[in-house]
Amino acid sequence: MARLAVLVKGEVSRLSKYGLFQATLVVTMFWLGAAWFMEEEMLERFVPLIFLLEATMMTILLVGATMFYEKKESTVNSILVSPVTMQEYIAAKVIMNIINSMISVVIISVAIYLMKGITFNYLLLVPAMIMVTIIHTLIGIKIAYMSLNFSSLLANYMVYVFVFLVPPVLAVFNVIRGVVTDFFILLPPEASNIILGAAFREAETWRLLAAWGYMLVLGVLVYRFMVKPGFDNFVMREAGV
Amino acid sequence: MFEVSELSYCYPQSKVCAVDGIDFKINEGEIFGFLGPSGAGKSTTQKLLIKMIRDYQGEILYHGKPLHDYGNQFYEDIGVSFEMPISFSKLTAMENLEFFQRLYRKTVDVEPLLKRVGLWEHRHKKAGQYSKGMKIRLNFVRALLNDPKMLFLDEPTNGIDPVNSMILKDMIREFRSDGGTVFLTSHIMSDVDQLCDRVAFIINGKLRECDSPRNLKLKYGKRVVTVEYKEKGELLTKEFPMDDIKKDSFHQFLKTKDIETLHSGETTLEDIFIKVTGVALHG
Repeated sequence: MARLAVLVKGEVSRLSKYGLFQATLVVTMFWLGAAWFMEEEMLERFVPLIFLLEATMMTILLVGATMFYEKKESTVNSILVSPVTMQEYIAAKVIMNIINSMISVVIISVAIYLMKGITFNYLLLVPAMIMVTIIHTLIGIKIAYMSLNFSSLLANYMVYVFVFLVPPVLAVFNVIRGVVTDFFILLPPEASNIILGAAFREAETWRLLAAWGYMLVLGVLVYRFMVKPGFDNFVMREAGV
Repeated sequence: MFEVSELSYCYPQSKVCAVDGIDFKINEGEIFGFLGPSGAGKSTTQKLLIKMIRDYQGEILYHGKPLHDYGNQFYEDIGVSFEMPISFSKLTAMENLEFFQRLYRKTVDVEPLLKRVGLWEHRHKKAGQYSKGMKIRLNFVRALLNDPKMLFLDEPTNGIDPVNSMILKDMIREFRSDGGTVFLTSHIMSDVDQLCDRVAFIINGKLRECDSPRNLKLKYGKRVVTVEYKEKGELLTKEFPMDDIKKDSFHQFLKTKDIETLHSGETTLEDIFIKVTGVALHG
């Protein structure tokens, strides 16, 4: 536990020293800048989207960037020949991203309240943000495993965006219609949208429960079958194999 | 400390094994040198011993127990100095060391170590601003952070100036004197000759020789004395069998000639390596 705390502290400190925290802050500010010019009705639809992008896309990019730096500077080799376990290494990444997401929640919530006096159901928002961040950190780790360099990391990230994020967005604009859209709940960003959206608007209970259940199962499956078994290969590759 | 038998490892998609059925033993309290040209299998063997590569064939025993049976607590026992720099470039040297230090149960005071390798005054500089030699010295301190019982050093003096190279070599010897064990891979023969109690030659993944530098020199050296002398303004050379140096003929020769130099036929490790493997070490 003490070692995990050291790893998390190290992750958070490096997030700032490498300018990644500042980069996410700039993106958040950009969203808030856009929010400033919006009418209240539109803003209520826009704010959940900010949280969704922060917890999904930014999380994947952040974990990818930190792992890219670790690979580039070979520091991951030094961590891998220390008593740090795989579980601790991955948990540190997850916790670091949760901390970052929570900072975003606080900044955005305070700013939106001060700007427009809008509040949300924070008791639903916080656990949903944590859940979405955990899943997308694990997905980000898997993408980082698959990427040889930063270019391939971005390419894999774009593939994820197009395959998993674009279809639900097209459904919102009625480009995709019909029964197929009912299955979009199986896409992690859509399931994330459902559980995050419950903090802002009424949600069908069965849909919300299904999305939460799916996210929980997905988290276990991604960890068990993608992140955990991929770790040894990742170590081998970092060892130059 | 380590017993390796029939150890083999082939990289994925490679037809040739990087390590091919090697056997050797590393005794507690010795400096064991692993010599070979680039691509011979030195670093792969080190990665196998430090559990960075796990799906090998054969057996590695650490303190009599298969290496596979050790969890990550194994890393409390060892220190690894990689050939390439391994520091967070945006963190200072001290921040780097403090981060890694907190990952271990037992640690040492880094101040004397940093002073010794000449980095104490630069401890608050970002590691990214260090020269290559400074980064390698920082790697060395990182390897000693957890007061390890065994050190794995991959080309520890590569890219370091002669003065600092001497300091690192002294520190390696002191580590051994304090009971530590060292596995050292290098292609720099002089380092190995000065440091190692035993050396193994590896080429194309196979071990060709494994003995002390002295025994290897005796085995492969010529038992002769070579005398260089001047005669009528010309520099001439004559070889005497070692067994003849007590004979009058040899003494008479020394008395009557204008001797310039006198050498025993002891060979160098580099010559032995070439003789044994047929390959030069540079690279």
